[in-house]
Amino acid sequence: MSKSLLVISRQTPMSGPSAREALDIVLAGGAFDLPIGLLFMDDGVFQLQPGQQASAVQRKDLSANLQALEMFGIEHLYACAESLAQRGMPPRLDLDAVQVLTPAQMSALIDRYNQVITL
Amino acid sequence: MSTLHVVSHSPFGDTRFDSCLRLLGAPDGLLLCGDGVYALQAQSRPFKQLEARLSSLQLFVLTEDLQARGLSCPTWAQSVDYPGFVELSIRFDKVNTWL
Repeated sequence: MSKSLLVISRQTPMSGPSAREALDIVLAGGAFDLPIGLLFMDDGVFQLQPGQQASAVQRKDLSANLQALEMFGIEHLYACAESLAQRGMPPRLDLDAVQVLTPAQMSALIDRYNQVITL
Repeated sequence: MSTLHVVSHSPFGDTRFDSCLRLLGAPDGLLLCGDGVYALQAQSRPFKQLEARLSSLQLFVLTEDLQARGLSCPTWAQSVDYPGFVELSIRFDKVNTWL
C-alpha cells in the first residue's frame, strides 16, 4: 500500500517558489493516485484569497493550479482556522472544498498521515 | 530629516513591520510593497495598528502589489504606482528599505 503524504504550505503566493512547489508536489502525487492532503497555514492561507490578479506584477496566477486540485482528485484540503482569523480572511475562500481546522484537529491530521512535508 | 521606510515582507511572517512601526517618526513615511501590502488585509492586527495611527501616518501602498494579492486600498492610505514610488524616494531625505 502506498504511503500517505501531507503537504503543509506556509508561504504567500508571491514570496517565492514555495507556494507553487507545494502545489506541484500535491498535483504530482494526485496524478499517481497517492493518498495526499494539503494544509494551508500561516501566510499560506493568502493563497486562498479571492480576487488575486498576479498579472498586475507580471506573475502567473496560482489559482488555476488550485482549481486543478479537484480535477486531480485531491479532496483533502485544509486550512488553519487561527491563521485565517489572524489575517481577517473572509469565510469565503477561493477554493470551496477547504476544511477549516482548529490546532487540535491539525495535530490529529498530521497523526493520520505517514509522511509530512512543510514548505 | 525625514525617512521613507519601505516594507516588502508580510507583516505576519516576521517582526519587520512591528519594528518599523516602533521607530517610525512623525516626519517619516511608510511605503508598503510586495508582500508588505498584506498589512492592509482588512480587520487584521497590522491593519488595525495602522488605522490607529492614521492621524500621524503618511502611508503609501504600491497599487499593483495590492491588485496582485486581491486587496483594496483603504481611504486612509495613498496608493502609488512606480513613478510615484520614485517621486517619494526623492521627496523624503532618505530611504530605509527593510530587507
